[in-house]
Amino acid sequence: MPIQPRRLAAPLAALAVTGLLTSCAASASPAGASGEREGGELVYLDAELTSNTQLQTSGTWQDSAYVTNITDRLVFKDPETGELQPHVAEDWTVSEDGLVYEFAIREGITYSDGTDLDAANVERNLEWQSQGDPEQGIPANNWLPPIADISSGDGTVTVKLEQPYAPLLDVLSFWRTSLVADATIDSTIEEQSQITGIIGSGPFTVESEVYGEEIVFAKREGYDWAPSSWEHQGEAFLDRVTVIPVTEDSVRQGSLRSGEADLIRYVLPSEEQGLIDAGIEVVGVQGTGNANVWDVRQSAPFVDDVRVRQALQVGIDREQIVDDLYSGNWQAATSTVSPGTFGYVDLAESLRFDPERAEALLDEAGFTERDADGYRTRDGERLSLTTYVDVYDSTAKPLFQLIQWQLQRLGIELVIEETDYANYSAVIADPSIAVRRNGWPEADAWVRQSVNYSVDGSNLLNLPEDDRVLADLYAQQAVTTDAAERARIVGEIQRVSVEQAYLLPILDDSQVFGIQPTVHDLRWTAEARPWFYDAWTERK
Amino acid sequence: MRLRPAAVLRRLGQSALVVALTYVLVYAVLFLLPGDPIRSRIDNPQNPIPEEQAEAIINYYRLDLPPLEQFWLSVTRLLQGDLGYSLTNGRRVSDLVAQGFGETATLAGVALLVSAALALLIALGAVFAPWARLRGLFRTLPAVALATPGFLIGLVLLQVFAYQLGWFSSIRDEGARSLILPALTLGIGASAPIAQVLIEGLESAWREPFATVLRAGGFPRRSIIGRHVLKNGAIPAVTLLGLTVGELLAGSVIAETIFSRTGLGFVTEQAVRAQDGPTVLAVVMVVSVVFTLVNLATDLVYPLIDPRIGGPRSARIRPHREEIAA
Repeated sequence: MPIQPRRLAAPLAALAVTGLLTSCAASASPAGASGEREGGELVYLDAELTSNTQLQTSGTWQDSAYVTNITDRLVFKDPETGELQPHVAEDWTVSEDGLVYEFAIREGITYSDGTDLDAANVERNLEWQSQGDPEQGIPANNWLPPIADISSGDGTVTVKLEQPYAPLLDVLSFWRTSLVADATIDSTIEEQSQITGIIGSGPFTVESEVYGEEIVFAKREGYDWAPSSWEHQGEAFLDRVTVIPVTEDSVRQGSLRSGEADLIRYVLPSEEQGLIDAGIEVVGVQGTGNANVWDVRQSAPFVDDVRVRQALQVGIDREQIVDDLYSGNWQAATSTVSPGTFGYVDLAESLRFDPERAEALLDEAGFTERDADGYRTRDGERLSLTTYVDVYDSTAKPLFQLIQWQLQRLGIELVIEETDYANYSAVIADPSIAVRRNGWPEADAWVRQSVNYSVDGSNLLNLPEDDRVLADLYAQQAVTTDAAERARIVGEIQRVSVEQAYLLPILDDSQVFGIQPTVHDLRWTAEARPWFYDAWTERK
Repeated sequence: MRLRPAAVLRRLGQSALVVALTYVLVYAVLFLLPGDPIRSRIDNPQNPIPEEQAEAIINYYRLDLPPLEQFWLSVTRLLQGDLGYSLTNGRRVSDLVAQGFGETATLAGVALLVSAALALLIALGAVFAPWARLRGLFRTLPAVALATPGFLIGLVLLQVFAYQLGWFSSIRDEGARSLILPALTLGIGASAPIAQVLIEGLESAWREPFATVLRAGGFPRRSIIGRHVLKNGAIPAVTLLGLTVGELLAGSVIAETIFSRTGLGFVTEQAVRAQDGPTVLAVVMVVSVVFTLVNLATDLVYPLIDPRIGGPRSARIRPHREEIAA
């Protein structure tokens, strides 16, 4: 497939690493031509336990990875180029006004329960996704826009929108919009919450699950509907993928070293070199979407002053964070989204560590005095900000502490509180908390940001009213179906968010994996979920 | 000694009351604590759910009902044998608890045997080994075991027997084989206090007049130790062994995490971490029922074993059995 230069440089630096790692095997033999790839089992140790696979309500990384491998979607996002390509929808048309989408549904696809994935089923999936199932406590998929009408017939599904919605095709390529059998839609929320309750048409099916011990995915016999643009067609190579949750870091790494496992997710930055020395490939994958940012919440004291926020923006030394705490598999954020995301603009220059500027901004804001502990004060009040350690990121605590130290040198006190997973959403609601971590890989970062930051949405910045400029830009990008124009708009959004320091980008979200050298062609989706379809193993 | 029916009934009633009060207390605590998994799901920054849709979710889980009605609903369901579903993973609470309890009971059972065997071995070595130096070595073992955290023992066992030697899988359930390392981890820790008590028991029994008489009578040393001293010196240790069961149930959390086992400790840890009310409630109830039953059984059975308790004939007990009461 042709790769445009603009896209080549940007997408997923780490996927390029993966490409290197596996390229010799890929070029050695065309897909399916020889038997050397078929067979065998891959043992994958996940760092977390499955908790909820229900498509509209799930918010956990590991579950989304499992769902991705057992289902297909209407649209395929090429992980290397970011291009949207046909999959279950073998073709589609969009009306001039951007309101009517017609999807031609590929024939011959079946779910693993034997039922057909046809136009009627796709219609049902989209209805269910966009409406939810209130009786069952299943909400709508909030990435989808308001839909005026969905109909099907003659092998096509027609979707009429109330307003143009630029990210629709991206959203349809995302795991949350995976297609499932009628039986799954009819089942209870409790059944759907377990991976065994998700009946898909993907290259793998769920063979068995013992809660907390393992999930066994088996190759789907007769799978013959990979995305038409993908080189590999037909069934997956691996007979089986066994996922074992191992939450204890040292056990996960020990089991990989001893050869009991083929793949682990999450490697402590400090352990990476040891694994590499033991012959393990360590790969960091950055998915496209939102970078790890700190939302600055303006209900908190001091940070409603733009100068204070800007001082934070240039007072955080991102390079030091990566150098001191992480490894080459991690990178400092260069915008509010990661490279490869649609419309990404490199703002590294505006995020460069500049302590003099930070000090000047704080002086200008009136924080000129220092108290006994060396912190800046204004009218006798200490410049003190509060945050909670992020509970969704296992590397968060040292990261927060390093930033605390960096800010202390500028005379800003960062008070770090801690809580557990169950209480996090309750305690973080406190309006006096100044910064809070946010940002994960997404199919479309801009849908997510407009939901997160508009006053009518989640209003995560706790603004009394929308920033007019930003609100207009968010509204425009959603309805602008011309890609170049939309890219310009979202570029502007990034600039405003960084310059006004509404968001403090910290790192690009990274998932670090350890892989045995006997495993080849393991791929990741554009959002950095492992994708086992091409993977094969030398150990049969 | 006979048990009076009225006393038995009263004791049964007390036990039922304890269990019922535990239920009310735990329910109230869970209700009062801030945070719940449904709210976490609604506010999850990776998938926030708008307020009007959140309402449908809250209604589905009946969280819109007043607290007392929720409590009543929960009690009526419980009386019908329905423990409900986990709020975090949608599984039947009864399945989770059954899976966890089965795993942990087996592990604790094997660990109990291991700790008994280890304690016996160490105590015999510490009291009767041929050289003073060897006896001293055995004597330090319980202190070392006590001072070593359980997770460290577990990780060392994994390092040697799973990673280096490859005799066991560190991650897969291999049935009975998979019990060995975690049972050793738990058993080593639990054996220490038992061994210490046993050492003292054996030493004092060895100094008892009856042992001197037997030695003077020319009985072989081995038979004096095996048939008499051990029998008399082991009684306090046996009592302690019984108490250890509770400790093993509690200590299994760490062993289960290290050895990737899905016992009651694992179920509890997951449920508490996410404040999964129905599961936490069920686990606490299971544990409280077990403890109440054990207590009940002890109270009811003890008089049958030891006639001094509750009986007037206690004066005829031989002096060296005083240790039971101690």
